[in-house]
Amino acid sequence: MKMIRNRFGSLTRVSAQLQRHVQQMSTNAAASPAEGATISEFRTAVSNPGEHSAMQVAKFYTIPAEQKKQIFSGGGLPKQYEQQIKTFTEACLMVRNPALELLQYIKDGDLTKPVVRYVLYGENGTGKTLTMAHVLHYGALNDFLLVHVPWAPNWMKRPKEASNAAGQEGMIDLPFDAAAWLVHFKAQNGPLLQRLQLKTSKEYVWSKRESTPAGSSLIELVEHGIARIKYASETTAALIAELKQLSTAGQCKVMVAIDGFNAFFHPVTRIFSDNKQLVTPDRVTLTQPFLDITNYDWTNGVCVLSVDKIAMTEGYMDSYMPRYLLGKEGFEHLDPFVPIHVENYTDKEFHSYINYYLDRHWINKTPQGFEEQLKFMSNKNPYSLMQLVRAL
Amino acid sequence: MSFLGRIAEKTSRLSCLRLMSVYPTHYVEPIVQKDKQQDQKNDLSKLYHVPIKAAVNKSSDTIFHDDTKHKMINYITKKGNSALARTLLSKTLELIKRTQTEHMNLAKGEKTTINTNPETLLQQAVENCRPLLQVTAIKRGGVTYQVPVPITTKRSYFLAMKWLLEAAREKERKVSLPEKLAWEILDAAHGQGRVIKRKDDLHRQCESNRAYAHYRWS
Repeated sequence: MKMIRNRFGSLTRVSAQLQRHVQQMSTNAAASPAEGATISEFRTAVSNPGEHSAMQVAKFYTIPAEQKKQIFSGGGLPKQYEQQIKTFTEACLMVRNPALELLQYIKDGDLTKPVVRYVLYGENGTGKTLTMAHVLHYGALNDFLLVHVPWAPNWMKRPKEASNAAGQEGMIDLPFDAAAWLVHFKAQNGPLLQRLQLKTSKEYVWSKRESTPAGSSLIELVEHGIARIKYASETTAALIAELKQLSTAGQCKVMVAIDGFNAFFHPVTRIFSDNKQLVTPDRVTLTQPFLDITNYDWTNGVCVLSVDKIAMTEGYMDSYMPRYLLGKEGFEHLDPFVPIHVENYTDKEFHSYINYYLDRHWINKTPQGFEEQLKFMSNKNPYSLMQLVRAL
Repeated sequence: MSFLGRIAEKTSRLSCLRLMSVYPTHYVEPIVQKDKQQDQKNDLSKLYHVPIKAAVNKSSDTIFHDDTKHKMINYITKKGNSALARTLLSKTLELIKRTQTEHMNLAKGEKTTINTNPETLLQQAVENCRPLLQVTAIKRGGVTYQVPVPITTKRSYFLAMKWLLEAAREKERKVSLPEKLAWEILDAAHGQGRVIKRKDDLHRQCESNRAYAHYRWS
């Protein structure tokens, strides 16, 4: 074991050197902190996800604070990871293979073709959400408009408030959740929307007195939804339809990222209708626009979706495979998609993570063989590792 | 029935003191931790012919094991739910570590002075809370006196942990036990807080009642 680790150690050292050379050669080296500053083996100075390659695998890169605030202030990182970021006073993400694979596909993909759907799947706690966060960071830096749902099951499992939809018979509105999502959308895309000056294509009439005229900017549309919470769900639908049109017309690029996408195909939700019956997700008004945007009838965008066991409820959590979690209907909706398997840590990643924890003084007890023991007990699963080391 | 009576008679004749343990007194405790076995390697020859108790099935040689921690878990446990007690304590230690690590990362300059090891902090807290004496009620001439008496090491540890836990359980309903316990432990580890005050109060009472000390033996 020790021998193997040594070999890894030397490998990482070599790659670190290589990386330094590359940085010296390339003129557009991403904001590297202070030339000549020592960088640990498990860190990388490349903070632009677009430049990550196999060289940076199993290394940590730091998300600058203001970017993190812009992208993830409304959710997107797991709660415990947020806590960890606060404790370690730096937002670090590990560069891992699934994210690199996905980024490679996105970079190589042809945007003029219908959108490609990428589906992240894997066991509980392997890092699907963080992989998505990595890709979102890439999207934000590369002028994608982000249509990001941090955790879709929240709408189906614990909505803030449910009311009957005004226009459609038998549908349920989630006004507060829709408004919260609009706020999140605005926070993520505010600067980009200002720059692109996107206009609505038609007039939206909300009520007798309120309407959004054709040719008003998308920001106005969003702000109307936030101000008039009653119409937030309809605004969301309108916004997403507009985005589809605009991106097909080539005015913007759109990155759709929905975590826990299979919640839209769950047999039941926890929302009660008027006659005290549990409604199905397709009767929630928020579902429709997001199913619509994951269709392949538009161009100039990418869809990154994740299917998750814990998006389901008890009795539906037997397997983490997309076909099982999405069900027949969902699978047919997404078919064809590119599956991306998020797995447990490799030996190298595990070692790097332990080093990171040691560096941050998060592991204080280092008797002989502690790493092997942690490896054995956590099965190299990121979440279990996080749970195991919390009291060390 | 009669044969049970006979056994009872026999045992009472053999030893006047009834033991609670299944092991006779000459059995020694097992050494479970590998590093401790290594430490006492030279003395092992003394144990060749000494019977050893079987190791209890929850003792282990993991990095997660710590004697103080183990004891503390036992004290936190209610109604045998030690799984819950374990999570509570590990949450406590996590909170301690979180505050300390945050302090350290935000501190300017002297970063190494801050201890981020929650287990040593727990041990430190328990050491700081240990009383040296206690008072016991003794009746002499119709009057009950609070007489200072020395206590055993074991009991002092017990009292320290009990006091820490009592201080932690005295809280608002909204505050969770790990939160409050973490605060108490951190306070005690730095030599302040309610538990330390309680210990000092006890010492003060012993000091003021020193005139009664002779009632212990007379």
